[in-house]
Amino acid sequence: MTASALFNTSVMGMSAQTTALSAVAENISNSNTVGYKEATTQFQTLLTSFQGGNDADGGVSASNLVEVTKSGTTLTTTSSTDLAIQGDGFFVVSDSTGNTYLTRAGSFLPDSQGRLVNTAGYYLMGYSSSAASAPTDPSGLQAITIPYGKEIGTPSTKGSLTANLPSTDATVAAADLPSANASTSTYSQKTSVTAYDNLGNPVTLDVYFSKTSSNSWEMSVFDASTATNGGFPYSSGPITTQSLTFSATDGSITSGSSASITVPNGSTLSLDLAGLTQLGSSFSVSNPTINGNAASQVSSVSIAKNGTLNYVLGNGQTVSAYKIPLGTVASPTNLQALSGNTFAVTKESGAAYLGDANSGTMGAIASDQLEGSTVDLATQLSNMIVAQRSFTANSQVFQVASEVMQVLNNLK
Amino acid sequence: MSLTNAGAIANQSLGAIAAQINVVSRNIAGVNVSGYATKTALVSTTSNGSTQIDGVARATNAALFQNSLQASSTKAAAAALSSGLDQIDQALGLSSGTATNTSTNRSPAALISALESALQSYSASPSDTTVAQTVLSSAKAVAQALNTANTTVQQLRTQADSQIASSVANINSILSQFQQVNSEIVAGTQTGRDVSSALDQRDALLKSLSSEIGVTTVTRANNDMVIYADGGATLFETTPRAVTFQATGAYTASTTGNAVYVDGVPVTGASASMAIQSGKLQGLTQLRDVIAPQYQNQLDETARGLIAAFAENDQSGLGAAAPGLFTYSGATSVPGANVVPGLAGQIIVNPNADPSQGGSLDRLRDGGISDPTNSAYIYNTTGAAGFTDRINQLVSSFSTSQSFDPSAGLGSSLSLTDYATSSLGWFEAQRQQATEAESYQSTLLSQTTDALSNATGVNLDEQMSKMLDLENSYQASAKLVAAIDAMYKALFQAT
Repeated sequence: MTASALFNTSVMGMSAQTTALSAVAENISNSNTVGYKEATTQFQTLLTSFQGGNDADGGVSASNLVEVTKSGTTLTTTSSTDLAIQGDGFFVVSDSTGNTYLTRAGSFLPDSQGRLVNTAGYYLMGYSSSAASAPTDPSGLQAITIPYGKEIGTPSTKGSLTANLPSTDATVAAADLPSANASTSTYSQKTSVTAYDNLGNPVTLDVYFSKTSSNSWEMSVFDASTATNGGFPYSSGPITTQSLTFSATDGSITSGSSASITVPNGSTLSLDLAGLTQLGSSFSVSNPTINGNAASQVSSVSIAKNGTLNYVLGNGQTVSAYKIPLGTVASPTNLQALSGNTFAVTKESGAAYLGDANSGTMGAIASDQLEGSTVDLATQLSNMIVAQRSFTANSQVFQVASEVMQVLNNLK
Repeated sequence: MSLTNAGAIANQSLGAIAAQINVVSRNIAGVNVSGYATKTALVSTTSNGSTQIDGVARATNAALFQNSLQASSTKAAAAALSSGLDQIDQALGLSSGTATNTSTNRSPAALISALESALQSYSASPSDTTVAQTVLSSAKAVAQALNTANTTVQQLRTQADSQIASSVANINSILSQFQQVNSEIVAGTQTGRDVSSALDQRDALLKSLSSEIGVTTVTRANNDMVIYADGGATLFETTPRAVTFQATGAYTASTTGNAVYVDGVPVTGASASMAIQSGKLQGLTQLRDVIAPQYQNQLDETARGLIAAFAENDQSGLGAAAPGLFTYSGATSVPGANVVPGLAGQIIVNPNADPSQGGSLDRLRDGGISDPTNSAYIYNTTGAAGFTDRINQLVSSFSTSQSFDPSAGLGSSLSLTDYATSSLGWFEAQRQQATEAESYQSTLLSQTTDALSNATGVNLDEQMSKMLDLENSYQASAKLVAAIDAMYKALFQAT
């Protein structure tokens, strides 16, 4: 090693420590930034010459690396659109020009158009929950837009009815069955359920159960709004009439366990009747469920762990609207960090691909939570002291080199 | 683990403790509020080791709550019935005195027995007009008592009818309030809001609903509740179902009250296939449709028995028997052994025997009250002042068995005196039963309410000790913040 190389080495040392200090400075300044990933400095030796293994003009080079995969502290918030990822994966966001990026900064809030935008101005991407298949890459996603204040109604398509029909009920004569829809019609038991038509109007369906013979019943469904003073005859006949047969051994339903009901001005409602029993106790309905919802304004959203975004309507009902997928790449550490806590896909990282949250390798999405910065202030302060001391040591080397050069210069 | 994380944990712990103190203070404030259920803050550990509040849980005991609803329904039914019967009892002075004391006991049984003894005195001195006058006034008192009883019973039915109407209106208004609270709870549960206060409110609404009509409930996803009447008819499912009732303005013995419909299904009355089992509505319809009409039938039969007992026979044996001392407006013949609706309200003392209405007292002794112009109905053909045959015949008719309509529920062959006494006995038994049922159900209700309150109510001692715990935790967390601060200071000084 030559004396002049001392300068070079110490300058390299000082420069490397400056890089380390810059990482510390960046970390400390972002110690409260949501979704911030700590930058760490990596040092490596740098040889300027190599002479047969004996002597080398050694130096150091430093580079800052963002620890993308490290998870930050979870912070609890009170906004349902504040999202944190518990586990691996990134939110897919786009800027105003449509370029997609990955981020873990999930402090989203609706903008004037209802799009969910985070503090850095990136829009959250997802796909409609009615989509036939889940997109596999970010190009198939759209910005999630919540139509606050818009009226939404969903027609009923599925439902179930669990009830017990008393086996002791008297038989109803064939001519008097509700299906005849005459003023003399009578029945054994009646219940009613609320379904929704295409426009989100609630439609009350009157469901009559009439015993026709031992272990055989007839179920007739009418539109309650066509009833005469709440009873027979209805101005229009039964929507559905179905025969039900029950087992004589255990009272379970043996035939007719699924009914198809065309809701007036609505869709076809498939009613699951597998829970019906015919036992020797009184009539009781234990679990009537019908999907769909009444027309009402979207008032807020709820986001489930698996990324399903539901609209919560003013009347308390919820409508599944979007699915928020998570994206990731083969090598997350090779993502390019950009401002706004976003990461861009690079050649080294591999292309982004999507997956459902809370499944496979993807983490769960937690609503009302944010992922804090991964920076620990105490560590940064100690790193700073170390870097500072190293810098001082390098400057001492420089001084010594300078003195050596001076001695050399004075030899003449 | 890092110092920053430690700081964050201490920080969040302070917030979580503050939220818990908030819940404790709500509990302490609710200690004397009836129906307030103890709230507990749900605390859990987050991934970084700190605590967070997941929500507020509310102490519930579904079985006890359902029991208390049932007890309140059964009690309301018993109370409605018992207060109605008490009303008849007081209006007619049925139980307020012994059977012989006719000045306070205005029951038909007591007055009929007074009439019998007046006739017995008359039989001893058939020529004494003062005694005859006593017989007449006793007979008038009997007719009047039956008239009053008839009016009272029908007034009670009218009143029960209007109470049913107001109960139905109340049910409808509770159901519409229920819809609001229920959708608030569903929305809150969906979005993870604290709905515990709304749940308290919903339980209170259910409680007031249960005193009107017996209910069973089913809870669906998201705390959505469905209410069925205890006969199975749907009261509330997403939307309230219509509870309808057509009130009847005035009742007579032959009026049948309208049924109450829930969701188009008749739940009261004879045609009800899904009849309600309890609640004020059930008690009122029981009173209006079963007990009061049956008592009315008995009164009508008593009146008919009187008319039959005092009927005069054609002495020539040609014509039919005709109503004698007791008759009714528009009477042409003595009614057969079937209930004549409203006869108790129409029975009068024949004017032909009443001197104040142009009649003659002597006809009590001689006969011919039915038709003074028709000599065939005169028993004392000679006009002898000592004639006692007819009087003795009348006296014995009180204890002679005659036919009664068994549909009134007192048998088909009894003497007049026995019938009137049995009727009184039947009524008093019903009243006693209703009063006993009410007091039993009241005790049961207060016991289930106590049990529910013990299970879900606020225990002040527990809350106070929890408060002390929280205070200590808060101090510890604050201390931790100070310690972390001191550590940072040390670090800053080192640089």
